[in-house]
Amino acid sequence: MPTSSQPTEITTKSDSRPVQWSRLLRSFGTLIGFLVIVAFFSWQKPNTFLNVRNWLNITQQVSILGVVAFTMTVVMVLNDFDLSVGTMASLVGIVLGVLLRDGQSSLPAAIGAALIVGMVGGLLNGILVSYVGISPFVATLGTLTMFNGLALYISGGTTIFGRVIPTELSDFGRGGIPLGTVAEQQVVLPNLTIVALIVLVIAWIMLEQTVFGRRLYAIGGNMEAARLGGVRVRLLRLLAFVISGLGAAIAGLMLVSRLASANPTQGDGLMLNAIAAVFLGMTMSEEGEPHVLGTLLGVLILGVLANGLTQLQIDTYIQQILTGGIIILAVTLSSLSRRSS
Amino acid sequence: MRGGGPDIPTLSPACSSEPMALQSIDHPPDDGAALLAVTHASKSYHGVPALIDAALELRSGEVHALIGENGAGKSTLIKLLAGVLSPDSIEIRVRGRLMQFHHAQDAFDAGLRFIHQELNTIPTLSVAENIFLSQPYPTRAGLFVRWRTLNQRAADVLARLGVHHISPRQIMARLSPGDQMLVKIASAFVGDSITSAGDSTAWVYVMDEPTAALTGQEAAMLFDVIQRLRRRGCAILYVSHRLDEIFEIADRVTVMRDGRVVTTAAIEDTTPADLIRLMTGRDLQQVYPARDPGTTAGERLLLDVQGLTTHAIRDVSFHLREGEILGIAGLSGSGRTELLRALMGADRVLGGTLRLSRAGRLQKLSPAEAWRHGIAYVPEERRSQGLILSRSVSDNITLPHLRDLARGPFFLNHQRERETSQMLGKAVRLQARSVEQITRQLSGGNQQKTVFARALVRSPQILLLDEPTRGVDVGAKYDIYTLIRQISARGTGIIMVSSELPELLGMCDRILVMREGRVIGAVKAGDVTEEQLLALCYGEIPHANQLTTD
Repeated sequence: MPTSSQPTEITTKSDSRPVQWSRLLRSFGTLIGFLVIVAFFSWQKPNTFLNVRNWLNITQQVSILGVVAFTMTVVMVLNDFDLSVGTMASLVGIVLGVLLRDGQSSLPAAIGAALIVGMVGGLLNGILVSYVGISPFVATLGTLTMFNGLALYISGGTTIFGRVIPTELSDFGRGGIPLGTVAEQQVVLPNLTIVALIVLVIAWIMLEQTVFGRRLYAIGGNMEAARLGGVRVRLLRLLAFVISGLGAAIAGLMLVSRLASANPTQGDGLMLNAIAAVFLGMTMSEEGEPHVLGTLLGVLILGVLANGLTQLQIDTYIQQILTGGIIILAVTLSSLSRRSS
Repeated sequence: MRGGGPDIPTLSPACSSEPMALQSIDHPPDDGAALLAVTHASKSYHGVPALIDAALELRSGEVHALIGENGAGKSTLIKLLAGVLSPDSIEIRVRGRLMQFHHAQDAFDAGLRFIHQELNTIPTLSVAENIFLSQPYPTRAGLFVRWRTLNQRAADVLARLGVHHISPRQIMARLSPGDQMLVKIASAFVGDSITSAGDSTAWVYVMDEPTAALTGQEAAMLFDVIQRLRRRGCAILYVSHRLDEIFEIADRVTVMRDGRVVTTAAIEDTTPADLIRLMTGRDLQQVYPARDPGTTAGERLLLDVQGLTTHAIRDVSFHLREGEILGIAGLSGSGRTELLRALMGADRVLGGTLRLSRAGRLQKLSPAEAWRHGIAYVPEERRSQGLILSRSVSDNITLPHLRDLARGPFFLNHQRERETSQMLGKAVRLQARSVEQITRQLSGGNQQKTVFARALVRSPQILLLDEPTRGVDVGAKYDIYTLIRQISARGTGIIMVSSELPELLGMCDRILVMREGRVIGAVKAGDVTEEQLLALCYGEIPHANQLTTD
C-alpha cells in the first residue's frame, strides 16, 4: 500500500451540485413513458386494466420473454448479441417432448437433458465468438438456423402434445401460489412469474454484485483495456453465451409447460422482443450500458402494451406496428437527450 | 477570399502543380501587427468558472506558446476560438475587426486552423482519403472519384510538409502513431498554401500538443513547417507540455493558471524555472525528484529475462533488481513498448524465459497471470488500453484486484472498493468529484493518475510504465515522478519506457537501449549525456567505456 508519509490533502472536491433536470429526464424518461402508457390504459379501461388480477396476468404473460431478456442482458453487456435464443427455446421444448415421448424418460431427467442442450448450444456460440473469432451476429445467425433445422428434424415438423406432456408440467405452467381473494375472486401468483423473478434476482446479483459481472462490464466498456487489466476476456465471453443458452433453455421449458405442447417453432419470436427489451432498458443508463433492472422495465413496457392494446381490441398486426414505433421513439428520445447534453 | 461555394477549388492550381516551390516567395513578415486579439474571454460550466477574463494576442509572424496545467483553461480558450463552445463573454478581433464565432465554420472562414491532440482519423481509409476528408474529392461527372488526382494532391500536401516516406495509398491503420499524426497535420493544410501568401486565407494555426505522439525526427519536420508558416507572416498558437520545445520554437509565451492568464512574455525574458513557477504557483526545486538518500537499488534479483522473443522483439535478455528503476530507450518502433507487452503476457511469446524471484520460471504468461504475480502495468495509451472510460474511477482502480477486495471468491465488496480507491486516489493526488465519477469526465492527467492508482493497489513487485507522463501537465508530472520514487523506495522494481530522454536520465538507475527489436546496449544513467543516449538510439555506438555490460 502507498505510504501516507507525505501530508496528502483531500483532493476530492465536494459533490454538491445543483440538480440537473435534463439528466434526471434522460435517466428516467423511459420510466415516465411507461407510467404514461399505464395511465392511458387505466383511463381507457378503468375496470379491467388496473387491477391486481390483470397485473399478475401480465407478469405471467411476460415471464418467458423476461427470462430470455434477462440472460440476453448478460451477453449484451459485452456488446455482443445472441440471435439464437428463440430457436434454441423451440429446440429445447422439442428435445423435452421427444425424450418424454420416445425415451420414456422421467420428467426430471428430461428437464436436465433439455437444460444441458441449452448450455451446449450456448457453448457452441461462445466458442465461435470467443475462440474462433467470428462476429456474434454471424455466429449466432448460423446457429439460429441450425437449431431451427434441428428442432424441425427431431420433431419431424409436428407438434408434440396430449398425454405425452405430463400433467405436473402443464399444471405448473397454469398454476400458482394463492395470495388470497380480492373482490371475491381468487388471486394467484403464477409459478412462471416466480421462475422469472428467480432468474431476475440471480441475473441482477450476477451482474451488479459479483466480480464476474464487474468484469463483464469492463469488457463491454473497453475489451483491450480489460484484457490488459487482467480480465480473462475469452473465457468470460464464452461463459456469457453459456448463460444466454441456459436462459433460452429455461424459457423453452416454460413454454412447453404453459402451452402443454412442444412445437418446433414456438419460441422463435422471443429473440427480437428480448433484444428490444434490453435496448429499451439501456435508455435508462447514463452511459448506455444494459442493466437487468432496465431490461425488466423494457419487458414490462412490451407486456403492458400487448395487454392493454388487446383489451382495447386493437388488431394484432396494428399492435406490432405500434410496439415497433414505441421502441424506436424511446431509443430516439434517449439518444437525442444524450446528444444535447 | 474563400467564398465557401463548392465550385471554388480548394487547392489552388499553382500550389498543387508546383509543390516544390518551397524556397520561393517568402513575403516579408508584417511584424508586430496583431492578427488576432482576444479580450474578456470568460466561460463557466454549471456555475464553475473555467476561464476568467482571459486575453490573448497573436502577432503576425510569431510562434506563441500557450502553457498551463491541465484544467488551467487552455482547452476552453481554444474551443472558444474554434467556435465550438459558446462563451459567457468574449471579444475577438481579427486584424482589428470585431468578429463573432458561432460555429466552427466562422473560425475557419476567418482564417483559423486547428490541429487537435487526439487522433481523429478513419483508420480503414487511405492516407489520401483522410487528408481530404473534410474537402470535396475531385470527381468525374460529379460521381466518380478521380483517385489518381486525389492521391497526387495528397502526395503534394505531404511533400509540402517535407514528408516523403508516407504513400497516399497506404491504409491509415498501418501507419505508426507518429505518421498518423503527420497525416492529420497535413489535413489541416489542405487548401492552404504554406509557401506563398496571397492564395490562402489561413492566418492563424492553433496546434494542441501536436508532438505528443511524434518522435524527435518527426517533430523536427513539424518545426520546419512551423518556421515556414512563421516566415510567411502567419501566427501559430502552440500548446505544449514540453518546455524544451517551447524554448526551441516559440517567440512569446502565455501562461495560464486556474482559468486566468497569468502573464505573457517574450521567450528570451524567461526561463523554464520561471514558467514552472508561474504555471504551478509554486517553486519546483528541480524537475526530477532525487532518490531519497540512503535508498539505493537493492541486490536481490526480482526478474531475470533470457532470450525473450515475440513478433516484435528478438532475443532480449536483462535483469531487474529490487528497488531499481530500469529505463528503456529507443526510437518509436524499436520494440520498447512491445518488450513491456511481452513481460505482461499481452503478446504471444515465441521464445525465451522469464523468471520471477518469488514465483520461479513463468510458463504461460497472460495479463491476468502477470497481475496475479504482482506485475503491474501502466500502458502507453491510457484511453484505448488503460481505462474503461464508461466506468467510475473506483471501478477502474480495482479492476485487476477484484478478487482480493471481494467478499469470498465471488461477491463484490463495494465498501472496501470505495475505501481502497479513495486511499489510492489520495496517494496519487487524484482530483475528482468522487471515486464514483465516470473516468471519461476526467482530465488527461487525472486519467493517468487513475491508471497509476490501479497499479499500486497491492504494492507490486514489478511495475511496468509505458510513457508514464505523456500528455500530462508539469504539476502532474512532478506528482508522478515523486510517486515513482516512493514506489521504488519500497523495493518495487520499475521498468520505464519513455521517449523523453531527460526523463529517463533524470529518473532511472540503468537504461537499456533498444533498436529494431533488440537490446543494443545498457548504460548507467549517470554515465551518459542526452546527446550520447540519443546517438545510441540511432545505432551509433559511442566509446566502449560508456557501455556497461552489467
